[in-house]
Order: sequence, then C-alpha cells, then structure tokens
Amino acid sequence: MGVPYVPVRGLAGTDILARRTDMLIAHNPFNADEKDVVARAINPDVAICHAIKADKSGNSIFRRGGDELLVSQASDKVIVTAEEIVGEVTAADPDGQFISSLNVTAVVHAPHGAHPAGVPGKYEMDRGHINEYIEAARSAEGFRAYLEKYVYDKTEADYQSLVGIPAQEVAVVA
Amino acid sequence: MSDMTTMNCNVDELIAVLMSREIEDFETVACGTISMLPASAILLAEATHAPNIDIIIRGSEAYGQDIGRDMHFIAQRGKMDMFFLSAVQFDSGGNFNLHVLGDPDSPDRRFPGGYGSGMLAYTAKKVMFFRSEHSTRVFVPKADFVSGALKTGNEVSRPNQTFFCFTPKAILRWDTARERWALRSYHPGESPETVQESTGFPLLIPADVVETPPPTEEELQTLRTTVKELMIESDTYANWATTAFLPA
Repeated sequence: MGVPYVPVRGLAGTDILARRTDMLIAHNPFNADEKDVVARAINPDVAICHAIKADKSGNSIFRRGGDELLVSQASDKVIVTAEEIVGEVTAADPDGQFISSLNVTAVVHAPHGAHPAGVPGKYEMDRGHINEYIEAARSAEGFRAYLEKYVYDKTEADYQSLVGIPAQEVAVVA
Repeated sequence: MSDMTTMNCNVDELIAVLMSREIEDFETVACGTISMLPASAILLAEATHAPNIDIIIRGSEAYGQDIGRDMHFIAQRGKMDMFFLSAVQFDSGGNFNLHVLGDPDSPDRRFPGGYGSGMLAYTAKKVMFFRSEHSTRVFVPKADFVSGALKTGNEVSRPNQTFFCFTPKAILRWDTARERWALRSYHPGESPETVQESTGFPLLIPADVVETPPPTEEELQTLRTTVKELMIESDTYANWATTAFLPA
C-alpha cells in the first residue's frame, strides 16, 4: 500500500460514485480502449489496531482475515494495542496474521482492549453491549447519553468496570 | 400471488428451485452473508444436476471458504460465474437500490447498502436478483438511490453478463440490447397481464413468453430432505432451514 490509487471494476452509474469525490472513471494508461473506476488511496495519518499479542519492538499477531495488515501498510503512524506483551513475536507464529515491527510506531499493553468486539482465543464479542450501542445510536440524544455514560471523562479502567470486566484484569499501559 | 396450491410449495421453495436450475455444473457460484434462498438454491443444484460446482456462501463457516479478500479478486478477474443479490427497489433503467428509501440526504428508511453489489453486479457472469415481493413498490420507474446499474454503455469496461430477477410471480430477464426488463416466464396462476400489473414500469413481453415450469416433486423432495439436513448439519442458516420448507 502507499500507492496513489487503485482501479476497481464496478460502481459505474451508481449514486455511490456520483456522491464521492475520491472515485472517478479514468482511462487505463496501458490500454486506451479501456476505462475503469479508480479510487484515490486512503492513507491515514494514524492507525490503531488491536493485536492478540505483540513484543516490545512491535512485532505483532492479529486475527486472520482482518484488514489490519492493509491498514498498517497504508498508514503513516501505526499504534498497536495488544492483549498480551510477550518476549518475541516472529512471522512463523501460527496464531494469526503477522505484522512486522517495521510498520509499527508504538505498542500499548491493553488487555480487553477490543471490547465490545472480541479477540480470537481470548474472549467473545459482547453482543449485549453492541445491542445497547445500536439502540443508543438510533438518535442524537441516545448517542450523546451513551458517550456520557461510557466515554466522556472516563478512563479505560472506568469503562472496563462499567461494562463488567473484572478489576484485576484492567488495562495497564506498559 | 401465484397459485402455490397448484405448485405444492411455498414462495421460498419456489424461488430456491427456480434459481437452482440456472446453475451449471463446474461453475463458481457465490452468495453473501444473509442469503438463505441463494444458499438453498446452490446446495440444491449441487445435490441434483451440478455436483462439481465451487461454492462460496459467506454466511456459512462450512461453505464460506474463509477466503476473505480472495472473493473480490476472483470476481475482478472474471472468474465468478454467478452471484446472487436482492434489492429494495429495481427500476425501469436497470438500476437497483440497496441503500435508502426517500431523499438520500434525509432518508425515510436505511438499508445495509452494499459494497459487494457495487462490484459483483459488474463482474459476475450471471447475476441472479431475487425478491420475495413482486409489487409496484419494488419495481419502480426510478430507484431512490442507485446502488448498482445494469446499463453502463461504454462508460467502463465490463464483461458480457446475464441478469435475471426471480419473484413470487415471474422470472424477469434484463434485455441488454434494448436496455429493458423483459418477462422471461410467468409462474402458474399468473399471466403476462397480472405480472405487468404488479410492475411499476412497462415490461418487454415477448410473443412467445411461456409459463414457468413448476418445481418437480424430485426438486422439492431434495430441497426438503437433503438440502434441509445439509443446511442444519453444516450450520448454514440452520435456524431458517428448520422452518422454511414444507414437510417432506
């Protein structure tokens, strides 16, 4: 990643294309007879990705099939939050998708940091909490109330306590 | 409504059977994450006339193939023979809507949208639309939002594609040359006139249009036994499969 744009077959004639400024139809530079949709690259300044485990250098293991590798390769700075900090993580690790420390700017130890999503082999998604959020997000007032309850002026420890994660497992920044 | 008594099946069974007939052996056929009717159509085809198809059912761990981004690239390079899509609206110009009803900037209803449709409807060789309601609120003159377009002229490069739409009343086919939806066949109990009455724009009705051959006993029995059991055992929409089909 870090490429300027990506061609994609599809989307022509849609209101998605009509309403977005980051996609347009362009000639294939290698074939004047062909036109395709091209999408401008998204290059985030900072990406924050949650790992199953990481070492102190930033070598980390993520769930398989996710977009973390792509996001890490596209972003200027990458912060890895990790369930667990271990001695050394290598590309040979069988537990998931490896991301090299070459891509990583900083590592944060954050147990239960994926909540309300889950982490493979560690804990399941908290469907009750996600449903609570979906309900809250139906209205501006509901969404604000959710932020008041869980986010504004709350530490990670406050949040984890509110959602019922046992205190002894509360995150410590390494 | 078509005459389900004559056909001895319910609407879901009817649409699943009719879609399964379009699947040819050795094809690569795929459907999305909430696709009960396509999943049953695919498994019925595999159990009957198409035992060697490659199957991707995203909503099923057993048939999801765990391929992630591969699905995108299989389609992009023209290797997806068939993909299934539903929509909230289909319009006279060959557009379909999966996003919103009403003004897109202040919608009356929101739907899940569809990244997949914006790509797969342009790359799959056969696109099988289906909808369990055939009415003038589904088949409209102009869709409120265009999630995908069957007609793009020479605006972009696009393979030759076939588009069908399966409903409780008929099978429609997109006539690419004339850029219109055409009636391919009407189900038992319907007529070209009753299908047209339920469609909010004029259909092309060929002089030789035929009645849809109804599901056979063999197709229905296989669906209600082999396919049902397979869906339950493989946890492919198991809850749905438990109650969707009539007793064998």
